[in-house]
Amino acid sequence: MAQQYKLIHPVKYYRDYLNSEIRPDGRETNKCRNVAVNIGSVTTADGSAVVKIGNTNVICGIRAELAKPKPSEPNQGFLIPVVELPQMCSVKYRNHSGANEDTDVFSCAIHDILVNSECLDLKELSIHNDKLVWAIYCDIICIDFDGSFLDAAILACVAALRTLKLPKVIYDVDINDIKVDNTILSPVNLKAMPICTTFMTFDDQAMITDPTAEEEDLSSSVINIAASKGDICFVRKPGGTPLSETQMESLFKQALDRETELLKILDDCFSQQNHTINQMVE
Amino acid sequence: MTKEVVILTRPLNFVNYLSRPDSSALLSQGETVALVAFFGPLEVKPQSLRIDRACFEVNFRPKTGIQTVKDRFKENSIKSICETALLSALYPRTSIKLTVLELENRGGFEACAINASCMALLVSGISMKYTVAAVHCIVDKKGEIVVDPNHRQAKDAIALFTFAFDSVDKNLVACNTEGKFNMAQYNDCQILAKSASEKVFQFYKEEIRKIHENDEIVGF
Repeated sequence: MAQQYKLIHPVKYYRDYLNSEIRPDGRETNKCRNVAVNIGSVTTADGSAVVKIGNTNVICGIRAELAKPKPSEPNQGFLIPVVELPQMCSVKYRNHSGANEDTDVFSCAIHDILVNSECLDLKELSIHNDKLVWAIYCDIICIDFDGSFLDAAILACVAALRTLKLPKVIYDVDINDIKVDNTILSPVNLKAMPICTTFMTFDDQAMITDPTAEEEDLSSSVINIAASKGDICFVRKPGGTPLSETQMESLFKQALDRETELLKILDDCFSQQNHTINQMVE
Repeated sequence: MTKEVVILTRPLNFVNYLSRPDSSALLSQGETVALVAFFGPLEVKPQSLRIDRACFEVNFRPKTGIQTVKDRFKENSIKSICETALLSALYPRTSIKLTVLELENRGGFEACAINASCMALLVSGISMKYTVAAVHCIVDKKGEIVVDPNHRQAKDAIALFTFAFDSVDKNLVACNTEGKFNMAQYNDCQILAKSASEKVFQFYKEEIRKIHENDEIVGF
């Protein structure tokens, strides 16, 4: 019976659950789903990670390429996140027209978060001023789109950047000769690890953390907050239910708490031998 | 931490500039200028028809060249903000379109574009839940907050914010940020932006009054 009720009245079904302060999947409103991280999963990439948050499954592969810098910023490398939302990831993206807009929005958000948190110093990616720099492409592919995509994408991206190793490049500027020594690999200097948290509001009042895709469809607004080293580096609230200052403040606090939780998982993952970790977030 | 507060609001100017769209707004905020054209409610394409509400579309045109990923991001924000303010359920099976053109960006373009869009919606007379006022502000190198800065002041900002508030409860409708900041800085910026948004709401009222003063004379 509950199944039919859910199909006919999805909003009321959800509201009934929230009235008893529990969500249909058994979580309380401020609880997050389980997080699983696996690093170095794609051996052909220069750095990679797979992240699962509940059913949301995101894979990030990094390829480093040599490029010529922009004339306006001759001493800076490139950090380019590319999001892909294939048709298999969600019924929302079964035709490509809907996915295009969202891939652009997500790519831009990920780029903003990575740049704002200053996680990579782009100047360190420079090999020779005005001639040669590294271009770091973060290919982020969503396997299963079950809400809070940005959280998983950022976590995957950060974990993959932490595994990234760049070969030594010897560049002779006079004869424009590039030698890449693949035997000497050095990790990039990751200065910060931003963590993003997604929130939503339901019925213009209930605040819900880490929503699933089903919940996001019923939401009256979705808010993304990224934190890095105890500071905020990204807030995106594109319209939806207006929020008061106290509401925003409670979201910031939750986002900062989530940062410490997820960083712990990430550290555990890197300290373990098999580089896989499944962890409950309590 | 915040040392000193500088509230500075650049002058706002509005003209209903275009004659062919259902309404339009050419809004300048200091040297930043946005042109918005509004069409609607129009006939809807079958694939985008919604039976319970209007299909709302925003098209953002940058000053030069084609749309970049960043422009799509801005377009998406403007769309969601206007969608919240609109009572689109009153216009089912129709489409409503906004075209936003960037004419001059000298700091705080997003806020200017949101205000111009809201102005175009107001002039068109379409039903809205509330009006929305956007305010741009920055935290500069010294930790000072500048509300609605000009191009030169925004040059070496460490954090940039664009807030949008509703006209009823003055709550936060939308927020976009750039750069890194702490909670205290965010709160200070939001409070200052909120007080600055009053000026924008006042401006809306004055402009709409001007438009309808003329209407009365024609009517009688």
